Amino acid sequence: MRPAPPIRVSRLEKAFGRRRLLAGVDLDIPPGSRFGLIGPAAGGKSVLLKLLVGLIAADAGEVTIGDDKVTGASEDALMAVRQRVGMLFQNYALFDFLSVGENVAFPLVRRGVPRDEIDQRVRDRLRAVGLAGSEGKLPSELSGGMKKRVGIARATVARPEIVLYDEPTAGLDPVTTSKIYDLIRADQAETGCTVVAVSSDVDALVGFADRVAMLHQGEIRYQGPAAAVRDAGDPAVRQFVRGELEGPL
Amino acid sequence: MTGARRAALRSPIETLGATAMQVAREAGGITLLAGRVLRCLVPPSMDGRELTRNMYRMGNRSVPIVALTAFFVGGIMVIQAGMYVRQFNATGLVGWGAGYAIFREIGPVLIALMFSGRVGSNNTAELGTMTVTEGTMTVTEQLDGLRALAIDPIRYLIVPRVVAMMVMLFILTVVGDLVSIAGGMLFSRLLIGIDPSTFYYSLVDNLDWIDFVHGLVKSAVFGLSIALTSCYFGVSVRGGAVGVGRAVNAAVVAAAVSIMLLDFFLTFLLP
Repeated sequence: MRPAPPIRVSRLEKAFGRRRLLAGVDLDIPPGSRFGLIGPAAGGKSVLLKLLVGLIAADAGEVTIGDDKVTGASEDALMAVRQRVGMLFQNYALFDFLSVGENVAFPLVRRGVPRDEIDQRVRDRLRAVGLAGSEGKLPSELSGGMKKRVGIARATVARPEIVLYDEPTAGLDPVTTSKIYDLIRADQAETGCTVVAVSSDVDALVGFADRVAMLHQGEIRYQGPAAAVRDAGDPAVRQFVRGELEGPL
Repeated sequence: MTGARRAALRSPIETLGATAMQVAREAGGITLLAGRVLRCLVPPSMDGRELTRNMYRMGNRSVPIVALTAFFVGGIMVIQAGMYVRQFNATGLVGWGAGYAIFREIGPVLIALMFSGRVGSNNTAELGTMTVTEGTMTVTEQLDGLRALAIDPIRYLIVPRVVAMMVMLFILTVVGDLVSIAGGMLFSRLLIGIDPSTFYYSLVDNLDWIDFVHGLVKSAVFGLSIALTSCYFGVSVRGGAVGVGRAVNAAVVAAAVSIMLLDFFLTFLLP
């Protein structure tokens, strides 16, 4: 595996119709970091995550991963960038025509990994997310939490340099949430990959991440160490992180 | 002129214009999709596993329903011809009449319509579920999931389906034609007492290979048309689960219309 590249976002803008979700976002995500993105619901966090790998085209601004420019790149060029990235989607994005085992194996099959190694790695990944023996099940037979864990297994099975998690613990109980974050942390420590996670579960995410950014009304209102976010200078950030009723939000 | 009256007068023109725009948009979308599929096929590059999987579920699983329908179609041809056969004592023409109609028209058109109803609609629903959007977000994100894994959805999802539909409709038409002839032969024996050998020689002495090939060329073109319309309506679904239902309906109607139009032109152009 190559060393994780830095991710740089510069003056990024995105609107859907009249709804402006990102209004000049700047982010610096250091290589090998655990980066958390927080912010009010429907504020553009998932859109920003998709913009990082070019799944959505930006209106203006720039995204670079290492030396590769994502914004404005052709679909062929983006394919090369995406080979280095794993992604967990908010709605799992499991292929419902494939079994759980085939879903997890999918990135490895596409990379031409030998069959024996694929089987071994799929078994290991499913055991790691607590779904050992579920290879033959279909996604439609799984609960939401189980689908999420299969999605995590698929996002990480190819040991990518960057892993993007969109709501990795949504709908999971607190114990499973802790287990999932422990798993992501252990994976990251082992591979040295860069992790970018978006979550509405602020406490769990702030506890997991070493750096945090808050997106509010299309702008980054805080970017810095996770440990300092509760005492951020911006009252909106403080109110959001502390979950207070009184404040500018 | 009151606003309501003006609106009432303008309405048919607006409706006509909107319909024309909609048809142009859909025809343009299908043409663009055909172009992208063609680009993936020169040189051929697609997922072999997806191709096999689609050929099996689209083709093999359609054999019973196609065979059953085709068998009775052969019988219907004989029943329709029976009265005139008796009246003019033209038993030597039954095999030719049934074979000509089945090979050139009834076989390819009827089997294509069956195929569109069973396979095309299913294809639209499946792709629609993968791509359906609500507002600005895709609901299941499966298409984004493919792209995030550095896979071209057209090459992985669409091209194997288009090739599978063309090949399997072609094969199903061959099977259907043969079953239909067998049905015609059996019913002509049971209903109008024509010996199977008389039916057979009437068929092979009076028909040429070109009659058979004429229908098969049509079936391949119909297969392409069903594939492109069903894939196009599948990947352009909007508006949640209701949108998937609307897309399936639109795909079946568009495929049926295109089959009839293509049949008209192909009958005119082909020998």
